Amino acid sequence: MTLTTSAPAPAISPTTAKEPHRLSLRRRLRRDWWIYLFLLPTLLGYGAYTVYPLVASWWYAFLDWPGFAMTGTFTGLDNFRRLLADDLFWNAFRKSLLFLVVAVPARVGLALLLALWLNSRRTPFSGFFRTLFFLPVVTTGAIIGIVFTLLLDANGPISLALVWAGITDSPTNLVASAGTSLYAGIAVWVWKWLGITMIYWLAALQTIPRDVHEAAMLDGANARKELWHVTLPLLVPFLVIITLIDTVGALNVFDLMQTLTGGGPSFSSEVIEIFIYRTAFAATVPQLGYASAAAVLFGLLTMVLAVVQAVGVRWARRQTKGAS
Amino acid sequence: MNSTTDNGVGSRRGNLPGAAFAMNRRGFLGTVGAGGLGAMLAACTGGGQSSDGPSADDGVLQWWDQFRPLTSMLEASLFEPYMAANSGVTIERRQMEGPDLGQAIQVARRSNQMPDVHSLAGLDATPAALVSEDWFQPIGGHADFDGTEIVDQLFDGLHRFDGEIYSVPLFSGRFHDATPWVNTELLSQADIDPAQSPATWDDLRATARQITDRAGVPGLLIPTKEVPYLTALVNWLAQSAGAPGTIDWTTGAYVFNSQPFVDALEFLLSLQQDGVVHPSGASMGARDARARWAAGEAAIYPWGPWIIGGLMVDEPEAVERGIDAWRLPCPETTRNVVHRGPGGGVFWVSNESQQPQIAAELLLQMSSREFQAQLASAMDQPPALIDVVAEADVHPAYARNIGYLADDVRISPVPETGNPSTWRVAAESQDIHPNLGEVAQAILTGSSSDIRGELTRLNDAMSAERDRAIAAVAGEGAEVSIEDWVFTNWEPSQDYDQAAYAAR
Repeated sequence: MTLTTSAPAPAISPTTAKEPHRLSLRRRLRRDWWIYLFLLPTLLGYGAYTVYPLVASWWYAFLDWPGFAMTGTFTGLDNFRRLLADDLFWNAFRKSLLFLVVAVPARVGLALLLALWLNSRRTPFSGFFRTLFFLPVVTTGAIIGIVFTLLLDANGPISLALVWAGITDSPTNLVASAGTSLYAGIAVWVWKWLGITMIYWLAALQTIPRDVHEAAMLDGANARKELWHVTLPLLVPFLVIITLIDTVGALNVFDLMQTLTGGGPSFSSEVIEIFIYRTAFAATVPQLGYASAAAVLFGLLTMVLAVVQAVGVRWARRQTKGAS
Repeated sequence: MNSTTDNGVGSRRGNLPGAAFAMNRRGFLGTVGAGGLGAMLAACTGGGQSSDGPSADDGVLQWWDQFRPLTSMLEASLFEPYMAANSGVTIERRQMEGPDLGQAIQVARRSNQMPDVHSLAGLDATPAALVSEDWFQPIGGHADFDGTEIVDQLFDGLHRFDGEIYSVPLFSGRFHDATPWVNTELLSQADIDPAQSPATWDDLRATARQITDRAGVPGLLIPTKEVPYLTALVNWLAQSAGAPGTIDWTTGAYVFNSQPFVDALEFLLSLQQDGVVHPSGASMGARDARARWAAGEAAIYPWGPWIIGGLMVDEPEAVERGIDAWRLPCPETTRNVVHRGPGGGVFWVSNESQQPQIAAELLLQMSSREFQAQLASAMDQPPALIDVVAEADVHPAYARNIGYLADDVRISPVPETGNPSTWRVAAESQDIHPNLGEVAQAILTGSSSDIRGELTRLNDAMSAERDRAIAAVAGEGAEVSIEDWVFTNWEPSQDYDQAAYAAR
């Protein structure tokens, strides 16, 4: 009895302790109705403008739907079969991947360098420079596309500067040359969005405790060693999420590329979004089903590539560990 | 359990200062939130407009088009007088860029918000295909179009379907959009007589070189960013070199790989290689090019007859400074005519419209000789009654260009008029890429150098796709065949008119 009475028995059993979390949906709705009420506009908006179009595009992908008709005809996998044999779809797919592969590392890397520079106490006017680099972020992509069409054309200052510097022999229209149009788009995109990635990195740098830096300094690490062995390793978790955010951004470049190059010349800068737009709206007979199938197939292929990449990275890590 | 829960809630309330007001505040916020949400949902019927669309509002007629140069003329000469004479009627016009209009109409169609009257800019589908999908309603029963002077220009498959008139041609088909428009001030600086059109392609090359050398600006501006512009330009140049168009109507065969098309592309390439073409043209659309040509960046800009009307609205100083039109040059001094189908229906009345009578009356007024003369004075596309230009108040360069067009352009046959069922082939056909404009873009940007090979691939692909489409729709019961593209009585030097269709 003594044992029983003196034992530190829980006042309520674990099951009882979890009871409040197991309230039925109905009771939770009755108790916290105002929370759901305030969530409702967001849920409705997300449902109407994200979930519904997503689900609808999957359904449309199975339809033969000329744009001028009110409805389409179910044709099964015909659109996907056509896409697999469409050279221009694969061209756009390659351009989008190339955009991703070149632009994301450039944006992430350059933004990190900028953030490190602006995070240094020795950098003068760092607040001013932060604002300066952030300004393009809040400028509309389409406007930037139009302005850079003028800046990058053969009579523009960039082309003339290249000639003046002896890099090119004659003025070059960088956005209208098949060899440079995509890279011109990449450069403008990186420039436009550099500021926001720089802010992410600056926020990440703020999370590193100052005493870690002080400890490294006391241990005799110079600035380079401190960066390499202390700062960068602590930033790795942020690298993953920042890369992910920028990767998503690199797949949403329609406004910029449409106004800058329109996908041309000769499809040399036609990323997948422009392919979809052209098929859905700019074709002689708009093909809504085919365009939806292109979007769905591109999404699936990107997911497959992401999974393959993740598996590859894990395999490489295991191999490295095994070797060490 | 109940008491514990109640106590918990009660204790939380009790711990809050002003607890008596806490629930009231939540209630207030909840009520406001619910009200706001309700208001938002009530407004969510697309652009804040009624889902019934504008047509449901008695007396309001929505009118969408892309004719910027016609803005003041339509308002002053058509809509305002009509509204003054019909007090219960309000006409609301919205002008958009062509491509934007096409997309807006597609979206409006799917959301039941179609305007009562609209043009087809930006919609590449044939009118017959749209009529078959119940986009429009006939207007012939609401006004006497058969009594107008344009009755000879009403064609089956273009304006009339199953015997019913759906639209009327307000503009003539007798035009091309490759007229070399010139800045006379720059020509004077280069010691060139603006009144003297270069007769041949070589003359034009030499003139462009002279301008580039002496005036210090590129001789020519050719905007190659927009594929449709290039497609049209190559087509007109090829026809000036003797091509019948993209189809030889005597055989029905595509002729993209014929010598005139090769010559046209080689001519454009030679101009570029001469260094007489504005180097920024490759990143310009047609409207950008017009603005930069108007700013004096180049002397010659090939475009359509509507350029002066547009300039009068946006850059009138370019017209005041000096503008003239040259005749489309040919490779040799022997002139070739170019061909274009009859003027199509411009404005169509939506099937959802509750105002077909008003729309038909407006279109009837637009078909009158008086309105056609006013249309000419806006200097857009030439009016359907093209002879009114001679009496209209127009710029001399516009009148001169209309004269050139009368000499150089002939009306070609169209398969839809010969057999209205051919629209199904057009609807079934898939776009071929690279098309003519894209081939030209590839050649001019150095992406490809095999002109004949590219044109042959295009020709083969177009022929194969048409054959496939014919077989597909014929398999569904449509009475179409390749013979519908053959007009054996076509005489290239003559217009293909109603009598020619009847004698076919």
